[in-house]
Amino acid sequence: MSIDHPLRLVLGVIAIGLFAVLYGALQRRRTSHDLAYSNVAFFAEAARPRRWIPRALQALWIAALAAVVLGVSGAHLTMPVPVRDGNVFICIDTSGSMASTDVFPTRAQAAKTAARAFIRESPAGTKIGIISFAGAAGVVEPLSADRQSVIAALDEVPLPDGATAIGDALKLAAQQLPNTGHRVVILITDGVNNAGADPMEMAQWLGAHHVPVYTVGIGTPNGGLIPGTNEEATIDEEALRGYADASGGAYARAENAAQLRDALARLGHVTAFARKPVDASFGFAFAGALAMLVAFLAGFGLGRYP
Amino acid sequence: MTLREALLRARRRPRRLGAGSPTIYRGDGYEFIELREYVPGDDVRRIDWAATARSGELQTRVILEDVALTLAAIVDESPSMRVGRRRPLLDAGREALESWFGAAIGEDRCIRVRAGEVTPPPLQRKGFRALARCENGAGFDLARSLRTARAALPRGAALLAVGDWYELDDSLDRDLADLGTRFDCTALIARDPWYDRLPLAGIVRMRGAEGGELRAYIGARERAAFRASVARRETQLLRRFERVNWRTGILREEDGAGSLAGAFGLHV
Repeated sequence: MSIDHPLRLVLGVIAIGLFAVLYGALQRRRTSHDLAYSNVAFFAEAARPRRWIPRALQALWIAALAAVVLGVSGAHLTMPVPVRDGNVFICIDTSGSMASTDVFPTRAQAAKTAARAFIRESPAGTKIGIISFAGAAGVVEPLSADRQSVIAALDEVPLPDGATAIGDALKLAAQQLPNTGHRVVILITDGVNNAGADPMEMAQWLGAHHVPVYTVGIGTPNGGLIPGTNEEATIDEEALRGYADASGGAYARAENAAQLRDALARLGHVTAFARKPVDASFGFAFAGALAMLVAFLAGFGLGRYP
Repeated sequence: MTLREALLRARRRPRRLGAGSPTIYRGDGYEFIELREYVPGDDVRRIDWAATARSGELQTRVILEDVALTLAAIVDESPSMRVGRRRPLLDAGREALESWFGAAIGEDRCIRVRAGEVTPPPLQRKGFRALARCENGAGFDLARSLRTARAALPRGAALLAVGDWYELDDSLDRDLADLGTRFDCTALIARDPWYDRLPLAGIVRMRGAEGGELRAYIGARERAAFRASVARRETQLLRRFERVNWRTGILREEDGAGSLAGAFGLHV
C-alpha cells in the first residue's frame, strides 16, 4: 500500500487515538442510564449477556474511522487488475529428452497440447508468442493477438533433438518482448541447462525488468530414457525454482499430461491480471462511510447509541 | 395470632435437635391453645388423659407458655442491599426488623447482632425503632455475624436474619446448621428487585453495588435466562435454609413487615 498524503494519515491516526480515548472515557462515565444491580457477577452468570456485541460495534466504529482516514490520505493498493494487452512468450523445450514417453504420448506432444489449451483460454487482446529451444533458441511465432495463428504455429515447433539452452530461450524472449506493459515468460522444459547463456543471469535480468518467468518442469520422478540413447532424462528442479524465484515468477511440476494442463491453466491468471497500484481512496472512504452508517443504525437498533 | 404468639408456639413445637428451652426471664403464665395428637418428643406431663380415653389416641395439650423472649436480628447492610426497583431493599429489611422488634413486650430483649458485637447491651428493650434503623459503620460480614450470634445469644433465642445472601458460601452451611439447632431461626431472603421483569434491552451498562461493571447486549434470551436463574437461586436458598431447620420467607421490596408476617404464616 502507498499513501499520497502521509500528513493526513498521521493526523487521522491521532484523531482515531483521541476518539478511542474519548470513547473509553464516555464508557467509564457514570450516567443515569446505568442500572445499579446487587451483584454483577451473579447477573453475568444468570443472564449470560452477549458482551461481544458492544465490542464488535466499537470495533466497527474504529474500523470505519480508519477506512475514512485511509480514503482521505489517498491510499493506493497494489492488487491484481485485469489486463487486455498482456504479452506472453511460451518457451517450449525441444531437446532430445522431450521425446521421452513417460508422459503420454511424449513430453513434447503433451507440452504442445497444454500450450494449445492455454492459448485458447487466454483473454482476448493478449499477445502470445512461441519460442522453441534445444541447442539454440528460435522464434516459432512472434507476439501476436491472433490466437488461431499462434495455435497453428505450435505445429511448426521442431521435433525433439539436441541439447538444452534455457538461457538462450530466455534471452530471445527478452529481446522479443516490448519494453513496457504486462509481460510474462512461460518456460516448459524437462531438462538441465547444458548450452548457451546462463539462465540464472537472464532470469535475474528479466526480474529486474518486471518480467516474471513461470517455469513448468515436465517428467515423472523416475524419468525416462531419451529414445535412441542410454541417457536418462532428469529435471533440475532446484534450478527451475531458482529461475522462477529470481524473476518473481513461480515453479510448477507436472508428472503427466493432465497435471501439465492444470499447471498452465493456473498460469492463466498471470496473463489475465497484473499487479498494479490502484487508487483506493474512494473505495476506502465509501466503505468507511458505509460502516459508520451501519454502526450508527446498529447502535440505535440495538437499543443504545454507543 | 401475633408474631409473638407465633414465636411462643414455635417454642412448644418438638424440634429436631431439642432447641426451645425457656429463658430465665419467665413471663405471666400459661394459656391452653389446643389439643392435638401426641408426637414423639412431647412432654408426657402434657398428655390429656381424659381426651386420650375419649379418642383412643394419645392427645397432647398444647400450652402457650408465656416466657420472656430474646429477639435477635442480623441484617445485611452491605451495598448489595442498597439497590432496588423503587427503593433500597435495605428499607424493606428495616421495616421487617421494626416489626420483629416491635413484637417484644415486657421482659423481652431485642438485640442487633453484627460482626463481633451485639447491640444494645443486655436488658435494653426500649427504642426498638432506633435499634432497627441504626447503621453499622463497618462493612457487613455475614460469617462473623453468624458466629457472633452463636457465641452471644442465649439458647432458645429467636434469630431473624435478613439479606440477599450473596455472601453465603458453602463453608457457612455448618454455621447455619449449628444456629438452627440452638435458636429459633428465621431467614428472610431478599427477592431480586428485577425477578419478574428485567428493565434492560439493547446495549446497556450495569454497575455492581459492590463493585464491578458490565457492558453487554441484553435481549429476550438474556431476560428469560435471568428470570429463570433468579427463581432457581431463590428456590435453592429456601431449601438450603429449610434443610438446616430455619424458618424461611421472601423479603419483598414493597412490604418488609408483610414479608416477615408471611414467613410465620400470619396475615398483616
